[in-house]
Amino acid sequence: MASLLDASKPRINCSMLSQHIGRGVCFVGRVEKVHPTGKTFSVSDGEGKSATVELNEPLEEELSGIVEVIGMVSSKGVITTTTYNILREDKGIPFDLELYNEALKVIHDFPQHYPFEVAASG
Amino acid sequence: MCCCFFLSFFLSFFKFIEQFYSYIVFQNIRKLDGGNGPSRFRVMMSDGRHTLSSFMLSTQLNHMAEENILAPNCICNLKRHVTNILKDGRRVVIILEIDVIKPAKDVAGRIGDPTPYTEGKSLKYTSLILQQCSVNTLMKGLNRDFGKKAPSVMPNTPGGSSKVVPIASLNPYQSKWTIRARVTNKSSIRTWSNSRGDGKLFSMEIVDESGEIRVTGFNQEVDKFYSLIEAGKVYYISKGSLKLANKQYTSVKNDYEMTLNGESTIIPCEDSCDVPMVQCDFVSIGDLENRDKDAIVDVIGVCKSVDDISRLTTKSNREVSKRTLSLMDMSGKVVTVTLWGEEAEKFDGSSQPVVAIKGAKLSDFGGRSLSASFSSTLMINPDIPEAYKLRGWYDKEGHAMDGQSLTEVKGGSGGGNTNWKSLSDVKTEHLGHGDKADYYTCVATIVFLRKENCLYQACPSQDCNKKVVDQQNGMFRCEKCDKEFPNFKHRLILSANIADYGDNQWVTCFQESAEAILGQNAAYLGQLKDSNEAAFDEVFQHANFNTFVFRNRVKLETYNDESRIKATVMDVKPVDHKEYSKRLILNIRKLAANH
Repeated sequence: MASLLDASKPRINCSMLSQHIGRGVCFVGRVEKVHPTGKTFSVSDGEGKSATVELNEPLEEELSGIVEVIGMVSSKGVITTTTYNILREDKGIPFDLELYNEALKVIHDFPQHYPFEVAASG
Repeated sequence: MCCCFFLSFFLSFFKFIEQFYSYIVFQNIRKLDGGNGPSRFRVMMSDGRHTLSSFMLSTQLNHMAEENILAPNCICNLKRHVTNILKDGRRVVIILEIDVIKPAKDVAGRIGDPTPYTEGKSLKYTSLILQQCSVNTLMKGLNRDFGKKAPSVMPNTPGGSSKVVPIASLNPYQSKWTIRARVTNKSSIRTWSNSRGDGKLFSMEIVDESGEIRVTGFNQEVDKFYSLIEAGKVYYISKGSLKLANKQYTSVKNDYEMTLNGESTIIPCEDSCDVPMVQCDFVSIGDLENRDKDAIVDVIGVCKSVDDISRLTTKSNREVSKRTLSLMDMSGKVVTVTLWGEEAEKFDGSSQPVVAIKGAKLSDFGGRSLSASFSSTLMINPDIPEAYKLRGWYDKEGHAMDGQSLTEVKGGSGGGNTNWKSLSDVKTEHLGHGDKADYYTCVATIVFLRKENCLYQACPSQDCNKKVVDQQNGMFRCEKCDKEFPNFKHRLILSANIADYGDNQWVTCFQESAEAILGQNAAYLGQLKDSNEAAFDEVFQHANFNTFVFRNRVKLETYNDESRIKATVMDVKPVDHKEYSKRLILNIRKLAANH
């Protein structure tokens, strides 16, 4: 899905999932439960709400902590992953998910000041 | 709140009728039993700015109180009234006609922060502020269901027939009175010895719902009463002498002060829950700049940070403990408060408590600062409405604010008082153009470092950094130390340009900040410059385009008829992204709210 990675991928949280169905997004959240098959897991955002993430291949590693998932939102509100990043908790300053959520809200409340769409396509 | 007062009330003399419309908030009501005849209701009103309790309901309106139409917090339109002047000059407003335009249950809490209105000002309410006010009483267990409950019986005053009067009504012309008040502050016994003999005294401040007053007892009264009285407890006091107050040493708001004499009695009162804990007329921290130094003020704020305790030796070779804390209130301003002695030792600033100080001394040290003297009363998390308001505000927004400090601390930020500015703010606000230097903190990126002449040869002595003169004979002379040395030490003076989204600024960085920016110490750099120029250049390349939090000092300097702003970096720190993000989000939300 190379085209997905070229297009803009707005950062969202769970409450914005429904507005981005069929679109590429970037979701940062805390890993909650990993399915035994390793092909799907749940993440919670800074507001405490949960979403489901699906992978193309089963996980090859232990997944825990904060993860950044880039993928597409399916019609059922599930994120099908293109790629993911683990934000390691043992390195650097611990990630503040609640603060991230506050920043997310600002970006979405003032899109005129955060024109990511333009930047990506330009 | 049901409290009955027995009050003799003499209405006489001038009655002039004023008619005006006034929206005021009904605050509080008291029923006065006049003995024979109908009950009288005394009412406290507020216009959002001030409270005034000299209102009486005319008897034809008694039903409004009895049927709870007039309930605390309701907003009223005062339509007709009459103002009477009492024998002692005080005025009382008799309410003849009043409409409740918004019932109490529809009013959600306190409007503004009203303070008791002081006599002497015009009684005309020209400000029509429709706000919401809560009952301005400082009591626990408020019972506002007046009218639903039978008024509580006045506890038997000692001596039977004495009537309890409010402190506010005390004057030198009446002697047979009893008051019921709480002791807020009791001093220690002081003794003196002069040509006229020896003596001892103690003083205390007492408060009731109507006000406060300072009380002093001398000699025999000290023996009689000192051990009986405990601060915080309520007593019936009668037959003290009143005289004009000496306002110089106290912030107690009363024109008179009381002296205990041979006829005075002080008896503990058991039923004390209605008597307020303290009477304070708080000054906003932002207003402290407008007050004269040495003024005595009451303040309340959140303790943002507290320093460690330190010990000083006084001139009389006594050791005394000292502790400073920063206090911030809703004005966004911060002031440094100094505590002494036991208060300093006992103070616990963890969990950022609300701190109120009655009778703090204002000084112009560092601009404006406060000190809690022996006559101040320090209260931690007091049970008063102002404290709850502050707590709510702080938890919601205040905690993320840095606040602007009225007390300038030299050499880096002392306890969280940062003056955040953008570089364009510095120019538009003309910082540094005044008599004194200005200090500010900013987040900025280094865009240029001048590597030429960033090092100079300095005197090798420990505490001297003066530039030495190369004698060209292997010796270096320091004019300040008046000595010659065979060596020198390298020191940095780094000229840099820093920039943010709005503007840029040329700054000078001395040793510590320069070393922090370059990531190398001066001695090593001095060596590198002569031995490996490529490596020396690389240090500067590497240091460029880094972002830091700069604390800078700016001042307009005149040099040979030319005036220029000179900016010096006092401190450099890495950016705390979490704190920065929080601050940005807060500022963004604030900006959005104001549009």
